[in-house]
Amino acid sequence: MGRPDWAPGDIDVSRASVARAYDYWLGGSHNFEVDREFARQALAAVPDLRMVARANREFLRRAVRFMLDQGIHQFLDIGSGIPTVGNVHEVAQRVVPDARVVYVDIDPVAVTHSKQILTKNPYAAALREDLRHVDDILAHPDTRRLIDFDQPVGLLLVSVVHAIPDEDDPHELVKRLWTALAPNSYVAISHVTTDSRPEEMGEGARLSARTTTPVTARTRTRVEAFFNGLDLVEPGVVWSPLWRPESPADVGEHPERMSFYVGVGRRG
Amino acid sequence: MTGPSDTSRGGAGRRRGLEAFAAAWAKALHRAHYVPIGADEREQIVSVLAGRLVAGLLADPADPALGHQIGVDLVAAGFGAPEALGRTVAIIDSRLLADASLPPSPATRARLTELLGAIATGFASAAHDRSLRDQDSVRLAALTAHLQAEEELRIKEARFRHFATHDPLTGLANLTLFTERLGRLFTTAQATDRVGVCCLDIDNFAAVNDVLGHQVGDQLLSEIAGRLKAIVTRPDDLVARLDSDRFAFLISHTTCAEDAVKIADLAQSTLDVPFYLAGTEVPVTASMGVAEGPVAAGRTATALIRSSEIALHWAKADGKAGTRLFDPDRSEADSARYRLSAALPAAIRRQEFTLVYQPVVDLQSGRLTGVEALARWRHPGLGLLGAERFIEIAERTGAIVGLGQQVLEQACRQAALWQQARPGLYVNVNVAVQQLQHPGLVGSVSQILDRTGLSADLLQLEITEQAVIDLTSDVVHTLSALMGVGVQIVIDDFGTGYSNLANLRALPLDGLKLDASLTRGVNREWRSPQTVATSANDDEFLTAVISLGHKLGLTVTAEGIEGQDHADRLRAAGCDYGQGWHFGKAVPANEISDRLVDKT
Repeated sequence: MGRPDWAPGDIDVSRASVARAYDYWLGGSHNFEVDREFARQALAAVPDLRMVARANREFLRRAVRFMLDQGIHQFLDIGSGIPTVGNVHEVAQRVVPDARVVYVDIDPVAVTHSKQILTKNPYAAALREDLRHVDDILAHPDTRRLIDFDQPVGLLLVSVVHAIPDEDDPHELVKRLWTALAPNSYVAISHVTTDSRPEEMGEGARLSARTTTPVTARTRTRVEAFFNGLDLVEPGVVWSPLWRPESPADVGEHPERMSFYVGVGRRG
Repeated sequence: MTGPSDTSRGGAGRRRGLEAFAAAWAKALHRAHYVPIGADEREQIVSVLAGRLVAGLLADPADPALGHQIGVDLVAAGFGAPEALGRTVAIIDSRLLADASLPPSPATRARLTELLGAIATGFASAAHDRSLRDQDSVRLAALTAHLQAEEELRIKEARFRHFATHDPLTGLANLTLFTERLGRLFTTAQATDRVGVCCLDIDNFAAVNDVLGHQVGDQLLSEIAGRLKAIVTRPDDLVARLDSDRFAFLISHTTCAEDAVKIADLAQSTLDVPFYLAGTEVPVTASMGVAEGPVAAGRTATALIRSSEIALHWAKADGKAGTRLFDPDRSEADSARYRLSAALPAAIRRQEFTLVYQPVVDLQSGRLTGVEALARWRHPGLGLLGAERFIEIAERTGAIVGLGQQVLEQACRQAALWQQARPGLYVNVNVAVQQLQHPGLVGSVSQILDRTGLSADLLQLEITEQAVIDLTSDVVHTLSALMGVGVQIVIDDFGTGYSNLANLRALPLDGLKLDASLTRGVNREWRSPQTVATSANDDEFLTAVISLGHKLGLTVTAEGIEGQDHADRLRAAGCDYGQGWHFGKAVPANEISDRLVDKT
């Protein structure tokens, strides 16, 4: 309450959306010219940005597989973006057919698209909410319907926390999210940094200022701080390709160029 | 050319070669996929495709559909990114023939080139189709999201509007919507159309809240709202809750005031049935004001609502539990009275009041023995106003106390001046009940007498018969104190009320002033036929009244004497003094002074 719900202005496709640009970098076509214009400028600044995006997405897949192996059967994916083939519910439900997945995104087009894909899936839902409204996410009827908060949850914060500026205290938001979860829940975080490529990634972050969700890149220390209070799973906070690769071939050369710090923590 | 053993040896070698090819292809496709796929799964997919590549090369006759399908399947498996095609072409071109142990003959190379062409075509068309499909789906998503957002906004606006135009307790329209709907009738209706408003107020509603509590009060309002709503059956009509216990009906397309009054009657009868709340019967009455009229130019919705509220005010003033129809004449009189009442305090401050004096004459000698002082208001806008225009208002608002003091002071000062020309000339001044109830009256009378030098026995205070009827111990005390000062007290308008004769005997009085209605004789139409109608009867009655006054030790003055006959009759009946047009109208002080000089 007190906060405006959707307004048509939100669906203004004259403004680039990082969610849809991300789909473009991955090779998808769920985007509009304004998104592609921004995406191409970012590509000019970071020529291998497509690889960066895919490496980040590979981490998501491996993190979900890892959590499934730990017995996690329900997932809360915040910042889920444009749903593509191989999304969390597909990965999870291939292993656990009734695995529960709640997708949350701030972008109304991404959410509506997700809903179109999920119409026949009784165990997955998509809802539009802002990461900053933790209580609203947790209290949403779809969240309550699908997720049993007495059981461990896999909380996925992949490529989303850097959309929260420091003044909104992202560390506190993340903590409020996982403290609502049962013990033995897991939290996966991936976060953009300019540590390894200050100029190129710095320019990419600057370009994002004109999108609906500008990016705040953070240092390793600041990213590690998101796991304070959690048991950090091996190998800790690392470059995205280095987190539990399934084969050496998945790592590739110069993993630091993938410019995402990733990690998984367990709630004790 | 080759034997079976060659074939099997070649087959095993080709299998191993193809495994190496698939591994290299899978590595090349790393991060060239749209979908995240693990290395194992990736290799599994491409090794199947590698086998189909070889089959495509060897097919006889050549079938471009095989290569085309490989391109399609690459995209379907998620390797739809441009890099996937580029790297696939490069890997196939550079090492497929060698890894598959195929001779790099011109014919085979030509087949390979054809195959690559077919793969590229299949890939491109599949990627194109996928792009178009994805574009469709994202545009549909955007459109849906947009429509949803608009719908939500519409619902929210509707909710907000409902909230802004309805009363949350009863769900009825509120004043805003009522005014808006009525206003719309005024702007859209035909010139011949008429409309009515019935404003309704629950009588003594505060008592329900006080006795039964606010919760029951709210419940009662909700049930009243329900009954009133049931009366409204026509689509353009409306019932609203204006505030607390006030409701209003909009009655559209009326033909006359009676149409609007009918709704008020329906409302009265629906409220006649008692309510049962909190285990008890709660009877309800309502006061209603109805205003109705043409929707003509120059008229407004707010004016019509105000008119109905004025009529409601009349209904309340007339004893509640009834309906009054707005009457513009009565409203004009009311507002004129209101304007006077609002102007009174400043008029007193500015001393806009002046006095005129009516002679009082000794009926035996015909000599001027006193005057009655009467107030006039020199109103800056309306001119000279008689007492009947403002005294009642001043009594109602309490302004009479200040006004009375000014009148007393002026009258005493003037009477003192006249003593040189006519020693013993007394002055009568009217005193209202409120003045008698005011604790400062005795003190201020003494001070005025001191200041003006008028002898106390020459001041006669006239109090109305009504004041004597409503006698309280305070007033008796004040009268005694005034008598103690030496002031004369007379009863004014005697015969218009129902004086308790015991009071007349007990009070410290000095005189009676008989009202004109008592001295002029009884209206003949009122007499019963059996009674013999003669003026002798009237005279006997007058004689009896006057002698009663004398027996109580009071002087008797007759008012309203209009002719010589009238004066003669009163004198014959024993009356002491008289005043009226026959002896002189109320005039300014200087005209009285002239008369004193003329010694009449």
